[in-house]
Amino acid sequence: MLELAGVTKRFGGVAALSDLSLQVPEGEILGLIGPNGAGKTTLLNCISGVNRPDAGSITFQGRPIDGLPPHQIARLGIGRTFQVVKPFASMTVRENAAVGGLFGSAQAHLAPKAAFAWADEVLETVGLAPKAGLTVGSLTIPDRKRLEVARALATKPRLLLLDEVMAGLNPVEVDEALEVVRKVHAGGITIVLIEHVMRVVVGVCDRVIVLHMGQRLAEGTPDEVLQDRRVIEAYLGEKYAARRHA
Amino acid sequence: MSEAAFSTQPSRAGRRVRRLILVVFLVAVAVVLVLPLTLTQPAADANLDPETLGIDFAINKSIVRTETTIAMFVALAAAWNLIGGLTGYAAFGNVAFFGLGAYTVGFLTDKQHLSFALALPLAPVGAAAFAGLIGLPLLRLRGHYFAIATLGTGIAVGEVIKNIDAFGGGTGLFPPILRHADALFFYLMAANAGLAVLVTWLVLRSRFGYGLIAIRENEEAASVLGVNTTAYKVGAFALAAALTGLAGGIFAQWSSFIDQESVFPVQYNVQMILMAILGGAGTLFGPVAGAIALEWLILALAGGGTSSVYAQIGLGVLLAVTVIFVPRGVVDFFGGSSRLSLGYFRRSLRETSV
Repeated sequence: MLELAGVTKRFGGVAALSDLSLQVPEGEILGLIGPNGAGKTTLLNCISGVNRPDAGSITFQGRPIDGLPPHQIARLGIGRTFQVVKPFASMTVRENAAVGGLFGSAQAHLAPKAAFAWADEVLETVGLAPKAGLTVGSLTIPDRKRLEVARALATKPRLLLLDEVMAGLNPVEVDEALEVVRKVHAGGITIVLIEHVMRVVVGVCDRVIVLHMGQRLAEGTPDEVLQDRRVIEAYLGEKYAARRHA
Repeated sequence: MSEAAFSTQPSRAGRRVRRLILVVFLVAVAVVLVLPLTLTQPAADANLDPETLGIDFAINKSIVRTETTIAMFVALAAAWNLIGGLTGYAAFGNVAFFGLGAYTVGFLTDKQHLSFALALPLAPVGAAAFAGLIGLPLLRLRGHYFAIATLGTGIAVGEVIKNIDAFGGGTGLFPPILRHADALFFYLMAANAGLAVLVTWLVLRSRFGYGLIAIRENEEAASVLGVNTTAYKVGAFALAAALTGLAGGIFAQWSSFIDQESVFPVQYNVQMILMAILGGAGTLFGPVAGAIALEWLILALAGGGTSSVYAQIGLGVLLAVTVIFVPRGVVDFFGGSSRLSLGYFRRSLRETSV
């Protein structure tokens, strides 16, 4: 469904991504992990059109999308969230989600009335329905993360890119969020997610790619990757490995 | 913003007050709209030469003139609101569109001998086309940079036009005078103001409007949700330019003389922004309320003498206080969730101070 070939992105002299290639088959949940600065968010930025890769190609459902502006990529069916949430502060929760339905993918692009009805459905899915009428300012951090997901879902994407939507959530909230991810996936949406919470990675990912300094350090099922010596050295640390085996 | 958590259902007394305000407002609108007809019609038996019509008629004409000016600023402020208030791009050079509209009508009526009725529709078209042209590069800039670039453009356009002989050069243009048309110009300006409000109302309910507000709140988020930010920003800019250019076109014929100084006044840029912000930027009626209140004050204080100096200082203080304590504009009080209270001012102060 999604294919990256030789993607490179430099910021000044630093290569955030260097010659990275990967594929995401339809229906998969792919996890991206790795230390801070590994290039995970840059990768999502390149896919969603926020950043333009310096080299390489990105194709989505057989169509080259690198170099397209973000709104055209959204139109093709790629939705994303931001690690640092970017809500529309003056709007209500419901209006925020409705914007996703008013624009979004070719399947979305609803008229205002339909977009608001669809927004209510999406808010129900992520558990924000009771707060639909509130302005964003009165939401807690976990709720803002939920809203970020709701807005991306409202675009009716084929592929959903989630950037650390579970960071800062307590264990109960993580479980709820996992449930949402499973529900979304069951609805036929392919998912690529960045996570530092290993319980999430193990809990939902079919496959994991470990990024380190803009390159692929390891790849495999969650269990394989978490036992990989290089991954433990570069990212997880010996303490984590010891705890896991204990 | 904890006030959103409270009930926003207005009390019965609140509804009654609001209904009363609405009735008073509608009556006022009706009076203002009918007044020019009665005031500028000389009595049937009177000599039609304005020189001999007497002092009453002159005063009446000046009332209509004031109303026309206020209607013009309602149009300018409401038009600015589309790009500055809804989209969040602080355009500081909208006077360029006003001047272009004025020069379109001036050039076509004076040099090409076209009738005013045929020339006027081209004023908004020319202004919007120009906005589309400069909008593409300028709307890539954000914040201060956009403000300064538009301010510079506004000044540059006036200077360029002043130096083109076909547009009258330094002497300006003279659209043929339409006699006894004071009421006509008032109604044209009022229609332009009404059109600006109608357009805003339509935009606020549409996909286009949600896209603009999304751009204002977070442009990057808007773009990944599928908003074509470039097209939307240029569209809002061109729409604002068209409404502003229309006002300029009416103004040109109304004043029957235009030059660079009279139709590219830099202070209009500031005035229309102040009006929109004082009334409530991004709201439907904010710019209307702000334009009426502020332009009325400005005209009232323009008398001259020592007292008018003090009055102007007072106006400055009033502006500063309003921006600090009522940052969302005075119409915020009628929005439902906010009420005039000490707590409101305290919250506002927290919002506006570092």
